[in-house]
Formats: sequence, C-alpha cells, structure tokens
Amino acid sequence: MLSIVCLQAATTTVTTTKPSAPAAPSTNNNNNASKQPEKEEPSTVAELSRYHFELCHPFEGKRSTTQADQLVWLASRLVTRLPVRFLGAKGQKDLWKTVNEHSLPARGFNLRKYKKRQQQHKGVDSRGRDIGEYTAKEWGIRQEKRVTLSCLQLQSQRFRELRDRQKRGFVDYQTGDQVLVTDSEYTEEKQRRREMERLSRELYGAERMARQGKLALDPEWDDVVPIVMEDPENALAAIAYSPDYAEAMSYLRAVMSAKEYSPRSLKLTEYIINLNPAHYTVWLFRAANIFAMKLPIPDEITWLNQIALENLKNYQIWHHRNLLVEHYHPSIASDPPALASFATSEREFLTQILAEDTKNYHVWSYRSWMVGKLGVWGNPEELRSTEELIEQDVRNNSAWSHRFYLVFSDPENCTPGEKYAATEADPKVPGEIVDREVAYAEEKIRLAPQNQSGWNYLRGVLVKGGRGLSSVREFAEEFVKGLGEGEEGEEVRSSHALDLLAEVYKELGERERADLCLRRLMEKWDRIRGGYWQWRREGLELAEVAA
Amino acid sequence: MSTSQSPPPGPSQQPPPQATTSSQPDDLEVVTDDNDSDYSSIDSEIPFSTPNLPPSMTTMMIDSLFTTPPPLHDPLITPTSTLQDETLSDILPFLSSSPLPPDLFTYNAYNVPSLRREAHIAFLHASLGRLPGKFVAADASRPWFLYWCLSGLAMLGEDVSRYRDSVKETARSMQNGSGGFGGGGGQLSHLATSYAVVLALAIVGGEEGFEVIDRRQMWRWLGGLKQRDGGFEVSVIITLLDLPLDLTPESPAYKPDDPSFNLLSGVADYVRRCQTYEGGISSSPSAEAHGAYAFCALGCLSLLGPPSITIPQTLNLPSLLSWLSSRQYAPEGGFSGRTNKLVDGCYSHWVGACFPLIEAALANSPTPVNDSLFSREGLIRYILNCCQDETKRGGLRDKPGKMSDAYHSCYVLSGLSAGMHQWVLEDEEWMVLPYLEGEQVFENADRVRPVHPVYVIPQGAVRAMRGYFRGKGGFN
Repeated sequence: MLSIVCLQAATTTVTTTKPSAPAAPSTNNNNNASKQPEKEEPSTVAELSRYHFELCHPFEGKRSTTQADQLVWLASRLVTRLPVRFLGAKGQKDLWKTVNEHSLPARGFNLRKYKKRQQQHKGVDSRGRDIGEYTAKEWGIRQEKRVTLSCLQLQSQRFRELRDRQKRGFVDYQTGDQVLVTDSEYTEEKQRRREMERLSRELYGAERMARQGKLALDPEWDDVVPIVMEDPENALAAIAYSPDYAEAMSYLRAVMSAKEYSPRSLKLTEYIINLNPAHYTVWLFRAANIFAMKLPIPDEITWLNQIALENLKNYQIWHHRNLLVEHYHPSIASDPPALASFATSEREFLTQILAEDTKNYHVWSYRSWMVGKLGVWGNPEELRSTEELIEQDVRNNSAWSHRFYLVFSDPENCTPGEKYAATEADPKVPGEIVDREVAYAEEKIRLAPQNQSGWNYLRGVLVKGGRGLSSVREFAEEFVKGLGEGEEGEEVRSSHALDLLAEVYKELGERERADLCLRRLMEKWDRIRGGYWQWRREGLELAEVAA
Repeated sequence: MSTSQSPPPGPSQQPPPQATTSSQPDDLEVVTDDNDSDYSSIDSEIPFSTPNLPPSMTTMMIDSLFTTPPPLHDPLITPTSTLQDETLSDILPFLSSSPLPPDLFTYNAYNVPSLRREAHIAFLHASLGRLPGKFVAADASRPWFLYWCLSGLAMLGEDVSRYRDSVKETARSMQNGSGGFGGGGGQLSHLATSYAVVLALAIVGGEEGFEVIDRRQMWRWLGGLKQRDGGFEVSVIITLLDLPLDLTPESPAYKPDDPSFNLLSGVADYVRRCQTYEGGISSSPSAEAHGAYAFCALGCLSLLGPPSITIPQTLNLPSLLSWLSSRQYAPEGGFSGRTNKLVDGCYSHWVGACFPLIEAALANSPTPVNDSLFSREGLIRYILNCCQDETKRGGLRDKPGKMSDAYHSCYVLSGLSAGMHQWVLEDEEWMVLPYLEGEQVFENADRVRPVHPVYVIPQGAVRAMRGYFRGKGGFN
C-alpha cells in the first residue's frame, strides 16, 4: 500500500512539475548542469559507461541534476517496475506521457549489466594496459577475441567428448561406424589449444592465467595428472627451472609412478633428454620403455648416436648404450654374421666420435667393454683403427691403453678368467706377440722418446710377457749417453729411459748405476718428482743390504 | 668403481672440510680438529707450531723448476704436444711473474699469492643458494653441490652448522622410501647421490639431520644393488652409518650356501682388476688408468682394513706409486689425471690426496716414506697461482682461463690441504700435522683446514656420525 501512495505522490509531482529538458542535460542551464559542457566527450569504455550510468542514476552518480530531472528519472523507474495498472487509466497515461516526453537517454539502463561491464573494464590486459582505457573500437576487437576463444573452447570440449566416446567404444548412430578420433582431429586440437593459449594470454596476460605448458596443451596428455613437486622453501642449491622443464618433469613423475611404458612416455623421455641429457632417472626410464615395448635396439642406437655427438662429455648416454647392448647381445650371440656386423657398426660410430674427441674417457671405456662383450679382441679392424689413432697422435694414451686391452685380454693370448692382474706376467701370452708388441712400442718411442705412453706400454708388455726389463737395456741406453759425465758429456733424450734403466741396472745388480740414474733424474731430468726418486734410491740401498 | 652409474661431474669422490667455530687460519696453531661442540672430541687437539715465513723483504728467487719449460721436449708435434705447449705458455706467466690483479691478491716473498679466503667463502655460499635456470644440467647432481660447497666451506674454516636445517630439509626432499637418495625430488635413488647426501649431513652435523637417514632401508637398498663388484661409495656409506655387512635373501648377490659373502665381498678383487698395466687404476677392468679412480680405490681399500695390509695385498704398489708420481708436471706443479693429459686443479685432490694413503700403505714396509713423495711446493704454487679465480666471482678452478665452480673449489682446496699437511695412521686413528719440512712458500694465514684422508670431510664430522650410529646399536 505504501508503494501506491508513493507512486501517487510521484505521479502527482511529475505531472505538476515541468521538468526542464531532462533529456539534454548538457544544455541545462542550472548550476550543476552548467559544469557538464566542460567535461570531455567520453572516449574510453570506462568513461563511456560511467557517463551512461550517471545519466540514468541521478542519485548515484556524481552528476547532479535538478529536482525535476530526478523526478522524471524516478518516474521512469516506476513505470517499468510497478504494477502501474493500479493507478487507473488516467494515472497510467499521465505517467507514460511524462516519461515519454522527457525520454531519458538510457531509460532501460540495467544496473546489473552495468556493474558486470564495470568488472570487465577492470584490470589490465597482457601488455599491462588498463582495459578501462580502451576505446570503444578496441573494446570491440577484444570482445571479438573473447567470442573466438569461447568458440574454440566449445570445439575443444566437443573434441574431448568425441574422444571419450571413442574410448567407450560408441558407435555413430547415423553411420553405424565406430566413433573414431582421426589423426587430423588430434592435430587440429593441438593447434586449437595453442590458439586458445595464445588468445588467453593476449586477453588475460600471464598474471591471471596459470601458464599452460606444452604438455598440458597436448591432447595426448589430457588423461595424465602431472605430479608437481616443489623444493622445500629453504632447499639448498635449488635450481630455477624453466617452465617447460618443470612441467616435463612433473609429467615424467606421473608416468613413472604409473609405470606407463608407452610411445608417449618414450617421446617424453626424448623431450626431457633434450632439455637435460645428464638426468640419469630419465635415461633409466627410457631404457625400461624400450625393453618393455620390445622396440628394436638398433633403431635406438641410431637415435642415440646423434645425441652422443651433440653431448660429448655426457656419461649417461654411454651407460644407456651399455644397457642396450647388454640387452641386445643374447639375440645375436649365436649368429656370427649378425654379431660381426653389429661390431662393425659400433666401431664405425666410435671411430666417428673419437675423431671429435680423441681421448674421451666415456667413449673409450665403452669401447673396451663392447669389445669384451662382443668378443672381438682379435678383430683385425679393431686393432687397425686403434693403430690409426696412435699414428695420428703417438701421445694418445687412451689408444695405447685400448691396444693393450685388445692384445693381452684376447682369450687367444691370455689365461682366461682374469687370473693375472695387468701388472702380472701371464705364462699363456705367446712369445711372438710379445716380440711384436715390443717392436711396435720401440718403433713409436723412437718417434718421440719423451712420450711416456710408449714407455709405459713397453714396460707393460715386458711384464705381461714375463720378460725381464733388462731385455730392453740396449734400447733404453740409446736415449742416455755419458750419464754423470758432467753437463757437456751427458746427453739424455728421455727421462723415462733413465727411469727404466734404473730398474734394469737394479735387476742386473748394478746398484751404483741404478742409483746414478735416479740421482740424475732427481737433480736434473725430472726434478719435480724428486721426493719419489729419493724414495726409490732408499729402496735401492735397502735391496743391496738385503742382498 | 661404483656399482651403478657414476655422477655427472667427475667420478665419485668426496672432498673434505674441517668444521670449526672460527675461520681464522692462525687458529691452526692449536687446533687441527674441528672443535664444533656437537662433535665428541676423541683425539682432540694436536698442537701445531707452525714456523712463519721469513719476513718478506726482498722477493726470493723462484726455483727455475717452476719458471722454465721442462728440460726434455721432443721435436715431434702432435695434437697432444700442441695442446700441452699452448697450455704451458698460458700458465707460465702465472707462475713466474705476478699477473694477478693487485687489488685482489697480495704476493708473498716467494711470489705466491695469498689465498682469497673471503672471496672463495662467498662463492661457495652463493653456490648453495638458488641457482639460475642454466644449471638445469646439474638437476641430477644437486647433492654433489651440497657436498662440494659444504666441504669447501669447512676447509676454509667456515662454520657450516647454520646449514643444518636446510641440509636436513633438502636431504628429505631427495630421499626415496627405498632408503637411498636421488639427485632431487622424484629421482631414482643413486649410489653417488646417496653418498653425497650422507656426507653433507655429516659435515653440518646434528642428530636431527642424522635421523633423516633410514639406515635399515639404506642397508636393504645397498644389498639390492650389490653385484659381484663393489665400490668406494658403498664402503663409505657402510662405515659412516655403521651398517651390518650381511646381505638379505632378497639381494641378487645373496648366496645361501656362503653366508660369509657380504656387502663388501669381492670389492677388493674388483679393485685389483682395475689396476692397469700403467700402474694406475681405471673405472672398470678394461679401461684406462685415471686419477679419480686411484683415489677411490685407495680410499676403498683403506676402509676394508688397515691400508698397510689391504693396499699392498691388493695392488702392485710400486707401479701405482710410479704412475701417481708421474701425474705431477713441471713447471706447472699441478697434477694431470692421465698420461699425456693436461694438469687440472681437481687432480690436486684425486691424485694429491692419494699420497697420505700411499704413505700409510708403506708405513710398515721396508721402505717407509721419510720425505714427501710429491712436490708440495709445486702443488701449492700451482693452486695459489693458477687455480684462484681472478675476478670478484671467487672460487677455484681447473686452470687459468677456466671458470671457477663448486666441484673444482672443493677438490682444489682438498689438494691444497693435502699439500699443507701430513697424516699418520696410528691405531686406526688418523692424525694430522702441518707439513714442516723445507721451505714453506705460503703464509700461515693461507693454511686450510685438514680433512679426513678417506672420507674427505672434517675428522670431527666423521667421528660424530659414526659415533652416533654406533651408539644406537641395531636399527633403532
């Protein structure tokens, strides 16, 4: 009842008071309205909506209006909201007339909509610009993007539903065919998500949107819930991971804990290996995938070759190769041609990678292991390619070391079962092998007498072959002339020869000459090792006392 | 030498620090062991009386050994000799003149620069902090960063007990239910990373940290890894944590008919098979002799029994010593890792730290070591002249022209410590003294703290952790 009274009052007032040009406030000449012309035309969306709001909300906005204006406005509100029929035909007519005559600029203005829009005008876009500052045209473009994004989201939703139907084995009711998501649909979805990601970032910026990583955007990974792990707050040496790496690791943890061995898991390992090839966990998981899916090992090795060439100092790559060969070997062990051809392809690759880095410890360690595993010590090509590296650089100790392994661990030339240590004589080593190797070492030593690789090899051969060091006395003496005969008379071309001669003379009981060698090493030819030479000299004395 | 993959950087080794409450090197005159209250001090202080340098008046002549190319040089040029010659010409100026920036370095009368202790300390603290994204390659070896930095800091005299909580939390985040530790959260347990975590916990000390380790699970896990070969890392973990050696029936190496076959069975034989014809030790029985494995092998044998017995029994000691001694080059003074390779600061540890173990091995032999088996002056000159970063960055490095890093900082410092001290093993107790023979080319202020010759962490840290777990008896 109260409302009716009010309405009547309002109507009465409205009809009796002539509002002055309420529709054109800018031309109003009262005090308040006179300020309006000074105000600039609204140019941004925020200003525009504010302007509209104020026009229609004389009580709420900053804009003040005359009392008459306010009454017209009030009437306009009443006419749409109250059951005006209670006013009777006359009252209604007057009311409508008043309202229509003074038609307000935005009579039907909806406060709720306004507030919603105001929300949309808040915040900043991806470039940090206040959205309220947009012009109407820019706003329009932005709205278009939002619509596009919504459409894409719908399509993406449709894709998910389709895939879900496929998973459940649904049949298309029109064609009777199985529902099937085609590869091109996958590809489209992938592109669509990238587009959605791009639009979202453009519209909302990084702040309001959790970044969608590559995998989160890939429909293939939709069913995996990544296991996100963060270091404790005070963790030491914590690494600021790139978002891609952090995301990939969280998916890796998820598939590992589910023990999922699948093509996508394999692809994930490749992705992570490219980001961080030193991650042992991912390599082991990769190997597990390959074995579980029974993938062809030679294919994996081909893939691995490229990775190895790109990461020369990486150890995990070689451990992986080791696992692969260990796994592959039984399948070719009883097939000599297959074994030989595998050994050849391995050698070819190793030759290629050693050309890049001739002393790479991982590569050489793998190589000697592989030779033993495949049993190709005696393969002439293996020896020849090692020899080639010694030809290129007679100081390449890794190549010398490999040669020693090839020759003296060959079951043809040694007692089986590693019965004798490398520093022990093995009675099964054939004399002609010892002769051949001694000759080889001597030839190489002559090229560069101060190269220790050759001397170490020579000693190693003599020890292995059970020959006394004194058997090379004459050879070693070639490099030492006039020892102890003063600065002019003494000519030493190799400290290693002196070292060896000290032992030769000791072996032959010529203690003084032995001591002279050691003394000259200490005094002149290898002074940095003085403490060691001194220790040897003490040992020499002791040996004589004992004798 | 390990039963599974080796860690990314370098082989599997430990460095060493000495936890102390004060970082003033002069303290060393009275203290060799850390005096951290948390460590039960058994053989507490060993009195040091370090003679100081003659007051620097005029610069003394540097022995030409360290300033001129070696007396023997073959004319034949190969890639190896080219690289060696180039490296030498880069290094020589650092050894013979004073090229380091005078605002960061002061030279003493022997033309040896001071140790930039504060800069190295700052570098190592920073390396424990948040690392930028480019360190992603280290994602699987973060435990090593903990170990390298903490050990390096302890050697420099820093009190690292402030890291107790953070090491504990970090270790937890790397721990797996299986008992081992991985390189980070969600990574598989790995012997090398477990080893590094255990050492890091030992260095910072504190029972709460020790309690992070689940010894029973660790023991089971090690048993599961056990193959017929073994390794240094296993020996270290077992001895530090006082684990039983038995294998559980689930272990792949378990032999029902031979109950004496345990976690460490076959280890010595594997080490034996790794000695090569050159005398050095390789990573596996068919590979090339390499400095890092020499230290692992000797360390491992020293844990398996008294080194004077286990080492000569297992290895050809004369040829090993000959090989080790050949690793030191002149004029550089530093060590190389393999025959015909370049010197590198990190081998100051891998090779340099072998000598105390060799000396212990020879202790009861007819030819004990009376003097130093290597040139301490050469090593110290190389480290102080060539291995210190020349910028505000701080830290230690491989050689001039290389960037400093945590790995090199740790092992260069350990090598420096080996050069400055000597060790005696008496009644299973390692005792350290400053090395006082001959001229001392460094200032007393540059002395770094000694670390246990096998565990390469402060001796007090070793005692505290072993003592704690021994005291528990069983797995409670």
